[in-house]
Amino acid sequence: MAELRSVWPVIQNMVSQELRVRYQRSILGFVWSLLNPILMMITMTVVFSRVLGRGEPAYAIYLFSGLVPWLFLSGSLTESAYCIIQNEGLIRKIYIPKLVFPVSRVLFNLVNFLLTLGALFLLLIPLGAKLSLAMLFLPVSIVLFGVFVLGLSIGLAVLNTFYRDCGHLVGVFLQAWYFMTPILYSTRDLETIPLFVKLNPAYPFIAQFQAIIRYGVLPSGSMILGSLILALACLGVGYAAFKSHEDKLVFRL
Amino acid sequence: MPPSNLMKTSLSSDFRRKRTRHDRSSMTEPLIELNDVALRFVSYHDKQYSIKRAVLNLLLQREDPRPVSEFWALRGVNLRIGMGDRVGILGHNGAGKSTLLRTMARIYPPTSGTLSVRGIVAPLIEMGAGFNPELSGRDNIFLNGALLGFSRKEMAERLEGIWKFTELEEFADMPLKYYSSGMYVRLAFAIATEVEPEILLIDESLGVGDASFVDKAKARLKRVMEKSNAVVIVSHDMESLRELCTRGIWMDHGRVVDDGPIDRIIDEYIERVKHPA
Repeated sequence: MAELRSVWPVIQNMVSQELRVRYQRSILGFVWSLLNPILMMITMTVVFSRVLGRGEPAYAIYLFSGLVPWLFLSGSLTESAYCIIQNEGLIRKIYIPKLVFPVSRVLFNLVNFLLTLGALFLLLIPLGAKLSLAMLFLPVSIVLFGVFVLGLSIGLAVLNTFYRDCGHLVGVFLQAWYFMTPILYSTRDLETIPLFVKLNPAYPFIAQFQAIIRYGVLPSGSMILGSLILALACLGVGYAAFKSHEDKLVFRL
Repeated sequence: MPPSNLMKTSLSSDFRRKRTRHDRSSMTEPLIELNDVALRFVSYHDKQYSIKRAVLNLLLQREDPRPVSEFWALRGVNLRIGMGDRVGILGHNGAGKSTLLRTMARIYPPTSGTLSVRGIVAPLIEMGAGFNPELSGRDNIFLNGALLGFSRKEMAERLEGIWKFTELEEFADMPLKYYSSGMYVRLAFAIATEVEPEILLIDESLGVGDASFVDKAKARLKRVMEKSNAVVIVSHDMESLRELCTRGIWMDHGRVVDDGPIDRIIDEYIERVKHPA
């Protein structure tokens, strides 16, 4: 961790430059970062209300409250899987603690996540949602979820460097995971909660956002405790896996 | 600052810079010390060995058929490089020169033995020093500076010197991928020398670039050397080595064959190349 603090300027540099590269060379610049998710959400609202007939605004709010955090998870994992391989040029030319790469990928996605959340809040009012005190708990949920995603990303970064076909599996796996997580549907519509939801590690995190944003209530204590344990365990395992293989990474590029 | 702990790669200054240059006790300690360092490359039949194969091997209960060949790129290397050392490493292709340089730069962790490095190491390996081709020249200066342990502010102070040496200021905002290889080398070299690292590692990259750059680079290198930092150069250009270095290290098959005054080492090396034993 001390090492991580010492390379903080490098991470900062990478994340801010990544953000600039993504948005700088477009006319609208920074506005894209807000416009993009807003357009996506408007499109989905229209599609779901006109085509699928689930038009009630409450559904749109429910959908986005789960989808926005999910996109943070899937974006972080997809990018982290290749972050070591993509930075081969850097790793083979200068000493750099390899943890920098997955950490900066996750941070970059976290910034996008926060921006999208901001955009979601702009849409909440037109969609008829009411702000609630429970929303003050959101930062805690974000931190818990962030730790969980970081742990997974670190683990995946090292795994995919050793087993290159892992990257192909990530996309398929994320797709399946997405449908096993109540994002498009709600557990409230189901008579029994299926086993794949109960055992789904993403569920306690996503459900927190849905509880707070859609229903305006605090997540249950057991859900918070469960997600805390899950997040810490995930980070512990990911970190241990990364550290024990960090020295060998350069020989696998 | 004494070496605090004996890890395989011990570092008395952490990744971020803690200047030890003015520390009196550090003057006598070597900047780089290698004790019985060996480095093994394991080449996998195809290095992209996959989950698919791992799972199949498990299911079919077969032994992993991956033919693995080992190759010791460095063996039993003992070296101490101290303040003011100007070291030239020579040897035929594949003798382990570049590998040794990369090990000193902490890019390759030693398979066995210990390596300790004190101070900032600025490596110039395969022209380029950790750049992101998508970013502009200026952004790369900051990125590279951060990798070497310098804050944005400290690099901002050095910007002018870097532009002055490279004459590339008009391209400051151009992404690095549009730079020519000569411009690339100039920028990398300028950053590595402008930050005045304790240890400068150079891998043949001086050969690139036009004649006027090479002369300019040599002059600048001599100035950096005068600040009693350690410089290690890998090159096949004997004349440059003679001109810039005081100490020669002759590598062969991953071992140090000889270590001594540069002129003697070069003469013996040339003699050996002409009349193989």
